[in-house]
Amino acid sequence: MTTKNQEANIFTSSLDFLVNWGRKNSLWPFPYGTACCAIEFMSSETARYDLSRIGSEYVRFTPRQSDVLLVAGTITYKQAPILKRIYEQMAEPRWVIAMGACASSGGFYDCYCTVPGIDHIIPVDIFIGGCPPRPESFFDAMFELQNKVADESYMKQRAERLREQVEALQEKSKACVASAQDYAKNTSENLSNTVRSKVSKALNTISLKKGS
Amino acid sequence: MSFFEEVFLLLQDKFGAAPDPSALDHSVLIEASKLHSCVSFLKKEAPVKMEVLLDIVGVDYLGYLHHEGPRFAVIYVFKSLSSPQSRIRLKVCLSEDSPQVPTISDLYPIANWQEREVYDQYGIHFEGHPDLRRLLNHVEFKGHPLRKDYPVHQRQWLSTNDFLLDVLEARLEEKGYKILERSKEVLPNDDEYLTGSIQK
Ligand code: SF4
Repeated sequence: MTTKNQEANIFTSSLDFLVNWGRKNSLWPFPYGTACCAIEFMSSETARYDLSRIGSEYVRFTPRQSDVLLVAGTITYKQAPILKRIYEQMAEPRWVIAMGACASSGGFYDCYCTVPGIDHIIPVDIFIGGCPPRPESFFDAMFELQNKVADESYMKQRAERLREQVEALQEKSKACVASAQDYAKNTSENLSNTVRSKVSKALNTISLKKGS
Repeated sequence: MSFFEEVFLLLQDKFGAAPDPSALDHSVLIEASKLHSCVSFLKKEAPVKMEVLLDIVGVDYLGYLHHEGPRFAVIYVFKSLSSPQSRIRLKVCLSEDSPQVPTISDLYPIANWQEREVYDQYGIHFEGHPDLRRLLNHVEFKGHPLRKDYPVHQRQWLSTNDFLLDVLEARLEEKGYKILERSKEVLPNDDEYLTGSIQK
């Protein structure tokens, strides 16, 4: 590693720290409550357990404004596309917690209508066991998620995103150049064909006139 | 004479009802063709009128111990409001080839959804039902899961959620509203509507 890189590292890691500090202390959940586990989440919100002390008291009921998708409850096959769509509507960065046995594995609903774990549909960061999990386990999951968020690198993600964008642009420009070349080749061929036919026509007429 | 014996004699007279050998109390066997008139009689003319339809139940007797007779049955449970302890069950036996019964949703509005549920889970058809769609399972589901020959663990994915705007609008119009304009965003533009769906 060169000295230059190391200098850069000092800068990026401190910005990462700042961004992660902000992110992990304002994880706004989107409560996707479909069954009894959602009731347990409500009690985590109450003054007794007090979710707001880790900055997550703003429960947002729109995917656009939330960071954590909290799937609390049984997900059926009829519900699955809706869950997937909600997940896709969330802005990055986004995390997913599967709360309870049902969301994690289907639980005891081992039958024709229940999805055996939401990880079949969307990526999950934290699974919480229990039926239902106590608020303590829910807090444990939130702390775990905070640790996970603290480990992420904003700069790295940004660099990756940039690289992806640049690659996409390069692909596009390559395709553009190729199509332009194609076009030029085609038109020039067409042109030369028409010119050739015109010239031969003219020659023909000339020779005809000469003959007559 | 108890209320049930009285009603049973009347039903026997008018509709050829038979006692149910499976020995559920206050249970009566009746033929599918007589069902509608029988229910109408119970609701409007019987000495103890049955104002409430509590439930419609489907039964699949496949593999049932010591069972003889047709495979399916539909059981209607009625309750009276004027004498609340009086209940009565009507049972209709249906063969596997043509599981069909006339609907009673014109007599009891609640029967609409109950019949849809029985149709969904058992595949029993209710003739004359205004809107016989699945109620609990999704639109892409194949088969009827509470039939005994449906493999319990056979799971079926739904690729995209139902588009219910038509149903909603029909219901609004029924109530006297008029649809002037639709937002473009709610219309299912095929490609866009399918992004985010589950494709296996
Ligand atoms: S895991 Fe238990 S408490 Fe949670 S939704 Fe399932 S059945 Fe209900």
